[in-house]
Amino acid sequence: MALPNKVLPGFSASLYCQASATPTPLTVANLSVYASVSALAVSANLLPVEAIPAFGQDDAMANFNVAGSRQSDKIPTQAAPTSMTITAAWNPSDANLLLMRGDAYNGTIDRTFIISATDGTNIVNYAFNGRVGQFTVDPNPTAEAKCTFTIHPRGNQYGWSNNA
Amino acid sequence: MATQQDVRLYAQAIQAQLSSIVTPVPVYANFNRNFATQPKFITWQLRDVHQPVYTGNVQSIKGIDTPVFQISVFTTEMADGFNIANTILQALHGYSGTFGNVTYNFKVSKADVVWLYHGYDNEIGLHNIFMDCTIYIPT
Repeated sequence: MALPNKVLPGFSASLYCQASATPTPLTVANLSVYASVSALAVSANLLPVEAIPAFGQDDAMANFNVAGSRQSDKIPTQAAPTSMTITAAWNPSDANLLLMRGDAYNGTIDRTFIISATDGTNIVNYAFNGRVGQFTVDPNPTAEAKCTFTIHPRGNQYGWSNNA
Repeated sequence: MATQQDVRLYAQAIQAQLSSIVTPVPVYANFNRNFATQPKFITWQLRDVHQPVYTGNVQSIKGIDTPVFQISVFTTEMADGFNIANTILQALHGYSGTFGNVTYNFKVSKADVVWLYHGYDNEIGLHNIFMDCTIYIPT
């Protein structure tokens, strides 16, 4: 399997969302299967995102203290995937931004999202299922209007894959 | 998706828009070789064409363009220069709508004019007034 073996510019990453107003998200197993994920990482599903925010795992741990003991202990727990607040150039007719707007309105739609990064040859994908919890439009007059939406990944529903 | 805008159309529309504002004063791009015989004329120059690029490997993901064109008003009489400059300010500053003429045009959300400065060139004997106009183009 060929992971990109170069330091990647931030510009190398793209964000894709599964199509359809009523999507069936990938199973947890398929979130780590390149063929399943790459089928969704196509240009028609691209979100016009300004920059990909930090993604991955949140920090999570349990902190134990024992009375009479000098040191406590920190036990890492299974962390949730990081929520992402994303800024995109706002075209009111953009089909994928309309999906984000609809998801934010609905609040319970699970959808597969993919962050795909490439060095031009090899590709690494981070796929996760999540819900959209915010959709705002910022019409700053000195630049393009931008819409901001937040994706909250579902617990444990993520996977990494790369091309062969 | 936002495709790269056509700078040739920018030039054609700027020429048309300025010509319609100051007619019958002649309008030239960059340079007027007949400057010695014309008491009033305008030149313009386009710069700062740039649509910010967004992340990812798809070329057409970009922001809007906010190009700037400089308007240079040359006149032998200072009052003529201020009159022409004022006409341009009144017509362009804050303008929103179709920019150009019926053949060469595009929509602008806003035109923003900065009146830069007034000077005099002793070698060519002309007053000059310089203005910058930024246009915000839906893309």
